[in-house]
Amino acid sequence: MIPEFFEFFNPTKVIYEAGVVKDLKPELDVIGITRYFVISDRAIHGLGLVKKVTDGLESAGIEITGMYLEVTQDAVLENVKLCAEAIKASGAEGIVAVGGGSVIDTAKAANILFSEGGDLVEDYSGANMLTRPLKPFIAIPTTAGTGSEVTKVAVIYDTENKEKLAFPDKYLLPNLAVLDPELALSLPPQLTAATGMDALTHAIEAYVGIEASPISDAFAVGAIELIMKNLVAATEHGDDIEARGAMLIAATMAGISFSHSMCGCVHGMAHATGAHFRVPHGVANGILLPYGMEYNFEEIKEKLARLAPAMGVETAGLTEDESAKKAIDAVKELIDSLNRLGALPKRLRDAGVPEDGLEIIAEGAVNDGTSFYNPREVDAEEILPYIQKAY
Amino acid sequence: MGYFESPEKFEEVIVGFFNAMATSEMAPKLLKSGLVIRFNYTDPDLVVVVDCSGDQIDVRPHDTESKSQVEMSMSADVAHKFWFGKVNLTKALTRKEMVAKGPIPKVLKLLPAIKPAYAMYPQYLDSNGYEQYNILKSA
Repeated sequence: MIPEFFEFFNPTKVIYEAGVVKDLKPELDVIGITRYFVISDRAIHGLGLVKKVTDGLESAGIEITGMYLEVTQDAVLENVKLCAEAIKASGAEGIVAVGGGSVIDTAKAANILFSEGGDLVEDYSGANMLTRPLKPFIAIPTTAGTGSEVTKVAVIYDTENKEKLAFPDKYLLPNLAVLDPELALSLPPQLTAATGMDALTHAIEAYVGIEASPISDAFAVGAIELIMKNLVAATEHGDDIEARGAMLIAATMAGISFSHSMCGCVHGMAHATGAHFRVPHGVANGILLPYGMEYNFEEIKEKLARLAPAMGVETAGLTEDESAKKAIDAVKELIDSLNRLGALPKRLRDAGVPEDGLEIIAEGAVNDGTSFYNPREVDAEEILPYIQKAY
Repeated sequence: MGYFESPEKFEEVIVGFFNAMATSEMAPKLLKSGLVIRFNYTDPDLVVVVDCSGDQIDVRPHDTESKSQVEMSMSADVAHKFWFGKVNLTKALTRKEMVAKGPIPKVLKLLPAIKPAYAMYPQYLDSNGYEQYNILKSA
């Protein structure tokens, strides 16, 4: 079905190659500046990944004006402010972020303050508050999950007021996303599985969501096919460069897709599961994804049936219902495989959620902003049995 | 020519509707948000503050002084169509027909809570002598 209206906007140049961070000169020449500030975290720096990037940049004639390595598990407001001050003081002309979603989101938000000045919350909270492009920004993901390197949102946690702030704006999109699977080789199996399930959830929810378009669908289907074929291999054999590369590409494609068509009730449940029981986002998404698909089944079965072949399902001779159910089964089988590797819990109870917390998750899903984009109205009583099944 | 012939009529209709929402089934969820929202309307111009920070929802037209966490700016016509559920939010926000300033996750959380308003608005218009503004009837 063709939607009445949709917009597709993705100006970020994406390049892919194993080892490409060693040679970014052609892309850097196009951007045209020579002084970059690097943002990352201590763990990534400790693994030597930041050095790989800075060596590559310096060999291309780039001056590294400084580094900010204090990004924490969540991108937090105070770090954004400190980071922006450090960038300004260093005399940089642009930013390079090396890391996962928190690092890239910190860099996006810091770029607002670096480029425009002002106060992040007072001046830029809202949708599309920026009026012109920011300073050049290069995102180099080291995990295959959030897709932040191609999304227009920065999610920042305000620790003082204990709330997540979202800054959706097209001007946050990086100029360049560098996908180098060599940087993902050291990701441990649990993180590989959780971030991979996060990417799969992005893609599936984007594909069945009410804001989906033929263009976002194309990216979603491509991402799903790559994830179904490569996530287990990347988790089991961390040094499988092809599987790592496929997962990086898939996460980026899923990011492009959900940045345009949003997420639904699986993310709603996962947000509540993370907020109340500290279950990592990718783990919560991984556990809840098939149950969210079941909750939406009547509304999405036609699209799920069409999606099934991309998930490796042989649909010849099957009805629409049967194909759609097999698509959900394929997700469950993927989770089983990851679980057998000890990389992903299958049940909420195994992730530390107490049984008396399930109603809180249901209420949280209803009140989450993603419920607005879910194909079926999210009702606490109606979704609770599905959360109980996930328990 | 927009839907409303005068600023007074727009104020009468929209403030009356906000007051109706304030005593509806939606009120508890709106109060739970604790948000103070300022609506800045143009053509005709009107500012309305909907204050959900107390025990009851307080609707204050012409309040330009109170501090609000969220500001929603749009034309009166976009606002009117919105309450029929006839505004594509993605389109309105990306094309800046609607500008949302403030904590977006909190604004998004309100959207499911106000869904019943889409059915309530045409009923409110019909039962309060504003049938001429019911675009579902004139369509």
